[in-house]
Parts: sequence; structure tokens; C-alpha cells
Amino acid sequence: MKIVAAIKVVPNDEAISVAGDRTLDYSKAAQQISIYDLNAIEAAAQLAAANGGSAVAISASGSKAGDAKMKKGILSRGLDELFMIADDAMVTADSLTTAKALAKLVQDNAADYDVIIAGDGSADVYAGAVSVQLAAVLGVPVVNNVTKIEVNGSVATVERTLDTEVQTLEVPLPAVLAVSPEIAEPRIAGMKDILAAGKKPATITDAAAAGAETAGVVAVEEIKAPVPAPRKCEIYGADDVAKFAEALAAAIR
Amino acid sequence: MDFSLTDEQELLLESIDEFAERYFDEDTIKAMYENHDCPDEIADAYRDAGFGYMGLPESVGGIDTDYLTLALMTERLYHKTGCMTPFMTAMLAMKDIADFGTEEQAAMIMERYEQSGRCVAALGISEPAAGSDNNGMTTCVVKQEDGTYVMNGQKTWVTNGAVAQFLLIIAKDESPAYENNKYSMWLIPADSEGVSIGYLDKVGQQAISFVDVFLDNVKMTEANRVGEAGKGFYLLMKNFEFERCLVVAQGLGEAQAAMDDAANYVSERVAFGKPLAANPLVRDLLVEAETILENVRTYLYKCCWMLDNGQSIRSEVAMLKRYATKGCTRVADIAMSVYGGLGYTNEVRIGRIWKDLRGNEFAGGAVEVMSYIAGREIVKKYKK
Repeated sequence: MKIVAAIKVVPNDEAISVAGDRTLDYSKAAQQISIYDLNAIEAAAQLAAANGGSAVAISASGSKAGDAKMKKGILSRGLDELFMIADDAMVTADSLTTAKALAKLVQDNAADYDVIIAGDGSADVYAGAVSVQLAAVLGVPVVNNVTKIEVNGSVATVERTLDTEVQTLEVPLPAVLAVSPEIAEPRIAGMKDILAAGKKPATITDAAAAGAETAGVVAVEEIKAPVPAPRKCEIYGADDVAKFAEALAAAIR
Repeated sequence: MDFSLTDEQELLLESIDEFAERYFDEDTIKAMYENHDCPDEIADAYRDAGFGYMGLPESVGGIDTDYLTLALMTERLYHKTGCMTPFMTAMLAMKDIADFGTEEQAAMIMERYEQSGRCVAALGISEPAAGSDNNGMTTCVVKQEDGTYVMNGQKTWVTNGAVAQFLLIIAKDESPAYENNKYSMWLIPADSEGVSIGYLDKVGQQAISFVDVFLDNVKMTEANRVGEAGKGFYLLMKNFEFERCLVVAQGLGEAQAAMDDAANYVSERVAFGKPLAANPLVRDLLVEAETILENVRTYLYKCCWMLDNGQSIRSEVAMLKRYATKGCTRVADIAMSVYGGLGYTNEVRIGRIWKDLRGNEFAGGAVEVMSYIAGREIVKKYKK
């Protein structure tokens, strides 16, 4: 059985600062695995371990994602091999372009896949679009909000945990499953895992070498932090409860 | 000179961050200090991530690790948790057994650790009348006519002594006389007949149990002996140098945690219409603390680098421990000053860190003994 974990590498959002002109300063933000994808990686590793087989990672991220440390970081978490497009064109690629690039990686390197597991959304934009479009490009079913996966032969039984109910669905394989964080707690990689990761195979190229198109891009007009609004500090006395209630209702309406 | 870390070291430190963030919050830490123990969940996770095997020889199932990496991970664990955990002291006792014991003894302790995730052995050296003055030790093992051995005596300040499954005891051979300098190491189950413990109430570091061990006619055989007869203390001394590095790494981590809190607090706390950070006297305190932290860190890394390159650091580590443990207490003291009255309450963690760090001035050899060791070496070094 072959499991593919589709992951994104993003700047550490806790280290992004706001410059004086309200633009975002990424200079101190190291690259890291998008936080929800850690759960996807763990789910992939556990599914491969439970059913026998291998779990590989695919990623279409910016050029900074393609360093040796990131490779070891990804592969120290239970995956066997990495196929990555590390190209700055992917930073501004729209979701369909990203999905097509991931599909190309799958078709060229893991065409015999049974399940592709992605996080429900990415830590930077959380659009939740790429997994759906990846399935569309590959022509396979997709289920999102997945919190449990069991595989029997060519069918996966999955649970979707929604606001008011838990759905249990049967999905013919191959399929794309977008998972919620509660699917699996990420393992903490120890030194043995880290050292072993350095010896695992990885193919990291730019988009052209991977044969991926980069034409569809998001045009970024401007990204700025909001101007902090001064607090109004409206104070109501004990006699003004009605007025307070009215103002509160107006504010939250 | 290259101060950069390897990818592997950086990733390991990130794993330590994940471990600290996932398992340690202030409520958990407070409970650890009240219960003198850490929750099973934390001990299991530490083992499962492989952290507990680091520093132990690969030949017995450990993960060979250079001293610098061990110091880095210790510093980071204490920094990110801001508390004393029992893991490193537990590893050191296991390392003594793995380094000096028989294959059977090493395999047995590794198996016990694998099964339990818990501290396997606690090291008993100090006695009520023999701290820095080792020869004052009176715990003694006498060979019997039938070839077995009987141990009598008392050990004190035994770290992890209440939770360990085994005790690694250093005792004099045959005679408790002051002049007798023949010592052997003995590994005995903590529940052996004749072994009892008494709890000691420490000022700080309460997450780690600290006990008196009473040894009353404890029966042993040759199989309990660790290492060569009569050479026990000499063997242990080999691991003292790195033990002192680890004490410093622990203290550095906790002092850095205190600094993180205090140096951030100055930007939040307003006094006389300005943040504390604007006050030159406050800034001077921060500069003093940061300088100590940087000096301790650099000196610690240098000592570990020397050890990794097979050099003796007898004098260097004595100076490091003397400077660093006092320096780290000073950093916590500064952090308390920055917080003012709030720093002297248990609403913040500075007081706990201060108490922990004060204890490190004794752990692994008192600072005055470090001066004694280094002073002697310095005189030798400069004598023409």
C-alpha cells in the first residue's frame, strides 16, 4: 500500500513581524512544515505502518523549502521518501497551479498511490482548496474534515467530524483525504529518526525540472497589517444599563 | 572557529521544543514540585522520543551522542520548561553502569528502562560526614566467609533515590577507616532487605526526589559489584567532568527562562509613565544578566568541545562550574529585582527558578571545592 502525504512549507508565522510601514517582515521567519500538515504526515505514517507499505511526501513550496535541514525534518517524522518542487514560483502560485504541480509529482513518482493525505488547510492562507483541486486533477474522490481512516482492500472507511455530527463514509481508493488535526498527534522526532532521515532518498528540483507549470499565479496587490483602531473606551454608569445594552447590541450586530 | 549548529542538532532542539510545549505547563510543573516526581505520560514520551537513550553507549542499546549535543539538548529542555526534570541525572547513573558494569548489568538496566521509562538507578556517594571530603565516608562492605558481602552505612542527598529501581552505591572495601581509599561500586535493587529511605525536604529542585538511604546489613554477592574492586571512586571520577557540564547546562537553561520572562516584562510594566525598559538602571541589570548568560554558554560549549576532542577539562570545568552556577543564580536574582515585589511571590516562576539555581552551586561539587581544584591547577600552570 502506498500513502502520499501532501505538505506545504511556510514561514514561521510567529516570527513574522510588522514593519513601520505596516508591511510584513519575513526576514526572521524560518521555513517550517505547515502546522496542520504535521498531523497529515503522522496519519500517513500510521496508515502505512498499519497496512504495510510505504509513505512518501510531496510538496510544492518556495525555493527556501528545499534545503537539507527541511528534508531531514520532513523525513524524520515517519515518511520514507520526499519529492519536492522548491521554486519561488510556487509561493505565488494559485491553488489550481499548486494542485497541478502536486499531481505531476504524484503521477511521476507515486502513480501507484492508494491514499493521498493532506492537511485540511495551510498555516498561511488556510483556503482548504488545494486538496480538492488535487483530487479533481487526478480524477479521484476527495473527502475533507477527516478524523479517522481505516482501509479495507480498495475501500477506505473514514469519519468526518462536523459541528453537530460524525459522518462515516466509504470511499473507493485511490482518493484524496484532507484531515483535521485530531486525526493523529504528530510524533516527536528523536535523534535516531533525524539521523536516519539524512539517509533517506529525496528528489528536490525547481518547477521546470519537475515538469510543472507555473503560469497560474495570484497577483498580490498589497499585504499590510491593519491599522490598530484606537479603543473607544465608552463608559456607562449604573443608571445607563439600557443604553449600555443598546450600544452593545449595536456593536455586535 | 565555527559556532553554527548542524542540521541534526537544530532539528533535535526543535524536537525538544515540541516536547516541552506539549507536556509542560505551569500547573503540571507545580504538581511535579509538590509530588517530587513527574507524570508517567511525560516519562513515557521522553523515552519514546529516544531522548532517554542519548549519551548511553550504542553497544548497550543507547544512542552515542557527543557531549556538546547532550549539553545543547539539556540547556534547551531546561530553558523551554523552566524547571528541573529528573532525566539527565537518571541518564548519568545509567551511564555509570553502562560504562563500568558488566554486559549483564548494562543489559538489565537498559531493559528496565525500556519497560518502565522511569529512572532505573540513583547514585549514592555523599554521606552525612562525607560530602566534599570523600575519605570521610564510612559506608563499608565486608566480605563474608561464604563469599557473599554485607553492606552497612548511610548515604545522603541521593538524587532520584525515592523513585529509582536500583541504587548504585559507592562504599569502602572492608574497613571504614579514614585512611582506607579502596572503594567499590555496588548495584542493588532499591527494595533489597536492609535498605530503607528517609525523605529530605529541599529548598528547591523539588520535582526530583532527594533522600537519605540507610543500608543495614544488606546482603550482596560478587554479581552486585560494578567495575573493578577497589577502583570504584576512581572510575566514577571519569564521569564527574561531564556531570559538571550538565549541571551548568541545566542551570543555563533555567537562568535563560528567567531572563526571557524578566527581559520581556520590562516592555510591559509601566512605572513613572514609562515602560521599565526605559530606565537605565533596569537596562544595566539586563546587560549584566545577558553578559553572564553569554559567557556561561560560550565557556560551556568550549568545555564540551574539549571533552569531545579527548582533552581533560578537570581545571576548566571546575572554573566553569564555579563561575556558571553562581552566575546563573545572579541572573535569577536580577530577574527577581526586575519584577520587584511580584518577583518575590509565587505568581511568577522566578522564585522557583532562583531556588533551583541556588542548589546547583552544590550539585556535582560545591563552588568552593571547584575553586580548590582549579586554584591548584592554575598555580601549577603558571609556575616557572
